[in-house]
Amino acid sequence: MRKTVLIVEDEFLIALDLALILERRGWSVFGPVASIEQALRLLDDGEAPAVALLDINLADGPVTLVAQALRAKNVPFVVASAHSRPELVGGEILAGAPNVGKPTDERRLLAVLEQALGSSN
Amino acid sequence: MNLEDFYRVIRNSHVRAQGIVDTVAEPLLVLDSELRVEASNRAFHETFKVDRDETVGERLHELGNGQWDIPELRRLLEEVIPKSTAIVDYEVKHDFPGLGLRTMLLTAHRLYHPDNNARTLLLSMVDATERRKRETEKDLLLGELRHRMKNLLALVLAMARQTSTEGRSAEEYREAFLGRFNALVRAHDIAFAESSGIGLWDVIEQTLEPYKTNSPAVMLEAGPAVALTPAQLQPLSLVLHELATNAVKHGALSLPNGKIRVHWLVETGSKKLLRLSWQEISGPSVSPPKVTGFGTRLIQVAAAELGGNVELNYEAPGFRAEITMPLGSI
Repeated sequence: MRKTVLIVEDEFLIALDLALILERRGWSVFGPVASIEQALRLLDDGEAPAVALLDINLADGPVTLVAQALRAKNVPFVVASAHSRPELVGGEILAGAPNVGKPTDERRLLAVLEQALGSSN
Repeated sequence: MNLEDFYRVIRNSHVRAQGIVDTVAEPLLVLDSELRVEASNRAFHETFKVDRDETVGERLHELGNGQWDIPELRRLLEEVIPKSTAIVDYEVKHDFPGLGLRTMLLTAHRLYHPDNNARTLLLSMVDATERRKRETEKDLLLGELRHRMKNLLALVLAMARQTSTEGRSAEEYREAFLGRFNALVRAHDIAFAESSGIGLWDVIEQTLEPYKTNSPAVMLEAGPAVALTPAQLQPLSLVLHELATNAVKHGALSLPNGKIRVHWLVETGSKKLLRLSWQEISGPSVSPPKVTGFGTRLIQVAAAELGGNVELNYEAPGFRAEITMPLGSI
């Protein structure tokens, strides 16, 4: 499966950091997008990503709707959040999703995304 | 005075006891085994807007048109208290007519009578509504603070990780990283110092301050007054910082006679647009970088974050950057 990842993160520098890390490791990055609206539009319009990496708090609300849209398309998602229990902010749909944390460790990010990619096959 | 003594005082010299009960700041009721009020204090009457006559002799759940008819409380008093001797700070949330939704902490003690088997309860109630509200607000604030701190750490990590090490000595890497780090710190300083709008002039001046060792080289020309929002401050400062470090490394500030002209104008059409221009003069001839590095990507995403765009032009007479961004209606 092609290594494509949608990044949803509203802090532009953090989004750029994540995108650069993943691009260097051969991932094609969709986005990064900073809002629920942009994320949903991107998911509606074109090819679905193989996996998604989600921030929880976005400028226009919690990432819940994006997670639901991804679930409907069978796209596995990983969260990158400072919250130890993202489901308390973003709802039950986030319970059990792997969390690579914020600040995000590069090795952990790559390992968890590879694993998510494996599970989507 | 223990509770038994206290109760004896109430029984034996009612008037004096009433005085004591009234000095207790928290609402207080003395209930008999039928949960009928034997005595009540002034704090109770004031808090629940009732008078003594309509309180004493009534059963608790019939008081004040049934405002104390709380199933949870009845169960507590009828079932729990007989088995234990006290309940401390039991939290009850109830909508009291005329008072609204309150959080009450109830403390009930069973009083022991050596002379007969009568059961009497002393029930006090503390209105913890405001305290609970303050605690919730404090938790929210601490959560938000923790979140912001993590975000800030993630920003610093991003800069440390993405500042290139290629072809650089450790010292050069440190200088490049700390330059970006300091630009971030300055942006925070300015944001905290100014409570109202942040002037564009000040932002440019303070961001370029470390590069003005040879001050005539940077020619800052004031345009119309522009007030920036805190959200615009950080991306714009970072863009200016990247332009300045590039000028020092490869551009006009790498030559003794090189100059930079910074000026802006505001276009007022259907929406207000800021056009900020960075023109390098008498610098070395420059060409576009072969690989888009972190610095250039940073400039592009920061401009996008500002809702605008940036044009980088490497042709003669010198490097030029033009940032276009919308301004709020200030």
